[in-house]
Amino acid sequence: MHATESATSSTLLGKASSGPRLAALAVTLAVLYAGVPLALGQNLYLMSLAVASLTIAGVALAWALLGNLGGMVSFGHAAFFGVGSYISALLTLKAGWPVFPAMLAGGVGAALASLAMTPALRLKGPYFALAILAYAQIFRIVATEWSGLTGGASGLSSIPGLPKVAGFDFGSKSGGYLVVLTLVLVFAAIYARLRGSHVGLALRAMHESEDATRVVGVNSVMLKLAMLMLSAFMTGLVGAFNAHYINFLEPDYAFNASWAVVPIIAAICGGYRTLLGPLIGAVTVYLVDQLVLKSLLPTGHQIVLGMLLVAVIIVSPAGLTALRFKRTRRGVYAAS
Amino acid sequence: MADLLLQSLYSGVLVGGAYALVALGLALVFGSMRIINLAHGELVLLAAYIAYTFETKLGLNPVFAIPVAIPVVCAAAAAAWYLVSRIKRDRELNSLILTYGIGIVLTNGVLLGWGADVRSTGNAWLQDSVMLGNLLSMRSEVLSFGISVVLMLALWWWLSRSWYGRAVRAISSNRDAARLMGIDPRKTELISFVVAGLLASCAGVSIYASSAIQPSVGEALTVKAFIITVLAGVGSIPGVLAGALLLGIAEALTVTLASSALQELAGMLLFLIVLYVLPNGLFGVAKRRG
Amino acid sequence: MDRSAIRSKPRALVRALLRLGAGAASACALLAHTPAAFADVLPVGVELPLTGSMARAGNAQLEGIKLAADLFNQGNGKHKVSLTVIDDEAQPAKAVSAVEKLASQGVLAITGGYGSNSVSPASEAADKAGIVYITSGAVDSAMTSRGLKRFFRIGPASGYSKAVVGQLNAMGVKSLSILASTKQATTDLSNEVSKQMRAQGATVTVHAFDPTMTDFKPLVNKVRLQDKPEVMLMIGYENDYIGILRAAKVLRPQLKAVMGAWSIATPKMTAEFPDLVNNVIGCAMLPHPAQFGTAEGKTFVEAYQAAFHKEPDYVAEFAYVQSRLLFDAMARAADAGTLKQDGIAAELRAKPHDTLIGKVSFAPNGDNPSFLNNMAQIQGDRIVLVWPKERATGKLNYPALPW
Repeated sequence: MHATESATSSTLLGKASSGPRLAALAVTLAVLYAGVPLALGQNLYLMSLAVASLTIAGVALAWALLGNLGGMVSFGHAAFFGVGSYISALLTLKAGWPVFPAMLAGGVGAALASLAMTPALRLKGPYFALAILAYAQIFRIVATEWSGLTGGASGLSSIPGLPKVAGFDFGSKSGGYLVVLTLVLVFAAIYARLRGSHVGLALRAMHESEDATRVVGVNSVMLKLAMLMLSAFMTGLVGAFNAHYINFLEPDYAFNASWAVVPIIAAICGGYRTLLGPLIGAVTVYLVDQLVLKSLLPTGHQIVLGMLLVAVIIVSPAGLTALRFKRTRRGVYAAS
Repeated sequence: MADLLLQSLYSGVLVGGAYALVALGLALVFGSMRIINLAHGELVLLAAYIAYTFETKLGLNPVFAIPVAIPVVCAAAAAAWYLVSRIKRDRELNSLILTYGIGIVLTNGVLLGWGADVRSTGNAWLQDSVMLGNLLSMRSEVLSFGISVVLMLALWWWLSRSWYGRAVRAISSNRDAARLMGIDPRKTELISFVVAGLLASCAGVSIYASSAIQPSVGEALTVKAFIITVLAGVGSIPGVLAGALLLGIAEALTVTLASSALQELAGMLLFLIVLYVLPNGLFGVAKRRG
Repeated sequence: MDRSAIRSKPRALVRALLRLGAGAASACALLAHTPAAFADVLPVGVELPLTGSMARAGNAQLEGIKLAADLFNQGNGKHKVSLTVIDDEAQPAKAVSAVEKLASQGVLAITGGYGSNSVSPASEAADKAGIVYITSGAVDSAMTSRGLKRFFRIGPASGYSKAVVGQLNAMGVKSLSILASTKQATTDLSNEVSKQMRAQGATVTVHAFDPTMTDFKPLVNKVRLQDKPEVMLMIGYENDYIGILRAAKVLRPQLKAVMGAWSIATPKMTAEFPDLVNNVIGCAMLPHPAQFGTAEGKTFVEAYQAAFHKEPDYVAEFAYVQSRLLFDAMARAADAGTLKQDGIAAELRAKPHDTLIGKVSFAPNGDNPSFLNNMAQIQGDRIVLVWPKERATGKLNYPALPW
C-alpha cells in the first residue's frame, strides 16, 4: 500500500533509472553547478541572493523532513540554526579548528541540542511547535548572556571564511554557492532515501496510528527523536555554513525568527509533502521577495508572503507543488 | 530589601493583570475551538495602534478609543474566523500555520500603516503616579488591571449565564452532541472569535496606555498569551488570571533579583516547566499529551 | 569654374561634414576616457537604517548626507556627487547585502551606517570590495582594531566617554548608577565610563538590560531602593530613554540629575516628550536653537532649515560632516587620478580637516581620536551646551530632575 505509493511518488532522485530522467538530472546538475557560477559569478549581489535562497532551502528541507517524517511542526528551527552557527564559529575562532570539520561539528552540536528537547516530543502538535519556539528564545538569551564565551550582544566578527581547497577558493561567492548547493542536494538525497526506506514506512504508519505501531513493536519515541536530531543536524550545518559565509554573528541574527518563518513559508508554498517542494519554494519565494516585493514595498513586503501562506493553506494544504502533481498520483491512497 | 521585593511584586501583579486581558481572548478561542489563534497578539496590536491614531488625531485620552477599536478589531477577528473555517482537514495543525500567516499579514500591515517607530501615549493623566501605601505605579496600569478584572467577571458571567456563552462551552466539550442539541457550531465559533476580538481591543488600548508599542510587539504578545493559556490549563478563566499573575510576578522578580536581561527567560522557563511537569496547567482538565 | 568644380562642391560639403563628424566622434571618445577634464559624476552609496528600531537616527543621518551632497554639488563645478540610498533595516545581514549591492552598482565610496552591530559587518564587506566606508554611527573601540584599510569614523566612543566623565566631574559626582543596553556600543561606553569613574574613587553600579525591554520599573526601583546614587546615567537608544524616564517619573528615585548618552539631547525628543526629558543631560554637539560662529556653520543651518523645515540635530550634523569630508576627498582623488588606487583613503588621511565638529584627523586605523563631544542639558524647549566650559552656551541646572 504505502510501499507502492512511495515507488510511484514523484522524486527525481528516486528509483528512476530511465534514460530521459537521468539525462534531465544530469543537465540540471550541470546548470546548477557550472552554469550559474559562470553566468552570475561576477555579480556579487545576485550570487548573494542565490546563496541566501539556498540557505533558506536547506532549512526548509530540514523543516519539511521533520514535519513529514517526524510528524512534528516546529516554529523554532532558528534554535538549531543559531546553535550550529555559534558552535562552528567558536571552534574556528577560539579553538583554531579548520572550517569544514567545524561546520560538521556545528551540525552535530545542533543535533545534541535537540536532545534537550526530548521531553517536548510527547507533546501534541501546537504545544510542540511553541515549545521549540521557547527553546529558541532560551538559546538566544544564553548566547547573549554568556558573553565570555559567545561575545554577548556584540557577537563574533571576522569569523574565518571557507578555505581554499585544492586551489579553489571556497571563500569566494561562487565557492560558497557551490558548498551550499552541495549541502542542499545531499540533504535532498538523504531525505529521498529515508522516505523510500523501511524507516520511512514505519514513520508513515506511525502517523496513521501511533498506538497501533507501538503494539507492533515500532519505538515511536526513538524514531521521532531520530528525525528531530536529523532535522537539527541539517539546520545546524546550514547555520554553520552561513556563519562562515557572512563572517559575523550576533545572537539576534543567528536566532532570528526569519530563519524559522521564511523556510516555513517556502516549504508550504512549495508543497511540504514533496521533496522538491521546499527547494523550489525557497528559491522562488526568497527571490521574489527580495527582487520584486522589496522594490514595490520597501517596508513590510513580507505582507505578501503572509497572504501567500494563508492562500496556500486554504486552497491546498499540501502546497502548490502538490496541486500540480495531483493528477499523476496513482494508487489506493492517492488522496493522502 | 523587603521594600524592593514588595514593589516588585506589586508591579508584577499589575503587569500580570494586563497580560491576563491579552491572554483571555486566546484562551477563549482555544477553549471553544481547540484552535490557537497565533494572530491574536496582532489583533491586540491593531487595537493599540488605533488608540494611538485616536490620540494623535483627536488629542483625547486614548481610553476613549475603545469604542472605535472594537468594531475594527472584531471585524478582523471575524475575517480570521472565516479563513479558519475554510480549512478542510487537519484543522489543528493547518489553523496553526494559517493564523501564523494572518499574524504576518497583520504585523506587516501595521508596519505599512504606521511605520516602525515605537509609540506610546503622551497623556499626562494616564502616566501620573498612583500610590498604594508605599507602593507606586502608573495610573494607567491600575486602570488596566481594573478593566481586566471587570472583563474577566463579565466573561465568566457570559459563559455561565447567557445562551451563546453556554453554547460555546457545549461546543468545546462535545461538538457533535451540541450540534444534535441544535447549536450551530459555525455560528458559535464566530461568536467566540468576535468576543475574543472585543477582549483584544480592550487589551490593546490598555497596553498602548501603559507601555510602548511597535510592530514586533504583536508576536511577543501572542507568545505570552499562549504561555499563560498553557499555564492556566484549558477551559479555565480563573486559571488565566492566575497564570498571568504568575508570569508577571516571575518576570518582575527575575529583573529585581537576577539581571533584567533575563526577563524573557523567566517566561520561557516557566512555560517549559509547566508543559513538562504540569501538563494540564494549574487548573485545567483536558488531556494534552499526544 | 568648370563643371567638375561645381559638382565637387556638394561632395566637398559632404566630405567636410564627414570629417567634422569623425572629429567630433574621436573627440567624444577622447572625452570619455578623460573624465577628470569635465564635470563628471562621482557615485556614492548610502547604507542606513531607515526603518526599524534605529529609524529616527537613520533618517536624521540621511538628511545630513543629502544636504552635504546638495551643498557640495552647488559649490563644485567640476564634480558632482550622486547618491544611491539603500535601507538596511538595522539588520546586520541586510547591511552586508546593501553594501554588496552598492559595490556591484559601482559606487566609489559609502557613507552612512548606524549602530555598531550593523556597521561592523558592513564595513568589512566594503573593505573586501575595495570601497571606502565612512561613518559616525559606530562608536565602540573595537571598530578600528580590525585592521581595515578603508574604514573611517569620526566619532569614537572615547569622545563620548570623555565628555560624560568630564560632566560628572564638573558636577562632583561620587556615586553613579548606570543603566546600559546590552548592545555593543552601549556596553562599550558603559564599561569605559565605569572604569574611569571607579578609578577616581566613585561608586558605580551597572545594570544591563535587554534591548527589547519596555518596562523599566523593576530596574529603576533597584536604583531607587538599593543603589541610591546621586546621578542615574542611561546608555541606550531613544526608546530605552523614554521607558526609563517614564518608570522614573512614577517611582521618583531621589537623584540629583539624570543623564543620557547619545540620541537624547535632540530637538526631536524635546518636542515629542516635553514632560519627560526636562533637565536631562546628554551628549550633543549642537545647542538648540542652533548657533554657529563660523560662516560654514551658518550656511549649514540655513540650508538645513530651507530643505527640511526644521532645525538640524547633531546626528544630522555628524552625517553632514563625514559626507563633506568624503566628497571633498573624492574630488581631490579624482583630480589626482587616483580614484582607483585607494586615492580617497589617502586623501582622507593626508591632513587634518577643519569641520563643524572641530578638527578631524584620521589615524592610520581610521579613527578620529581628537573627537570630543559636548554635553548639553534640555531646559524647557531649548538645549543648552553645558560642557566643556569654553563651548558652553548656558548654565547647568543642578540638582534638577525631569519630574
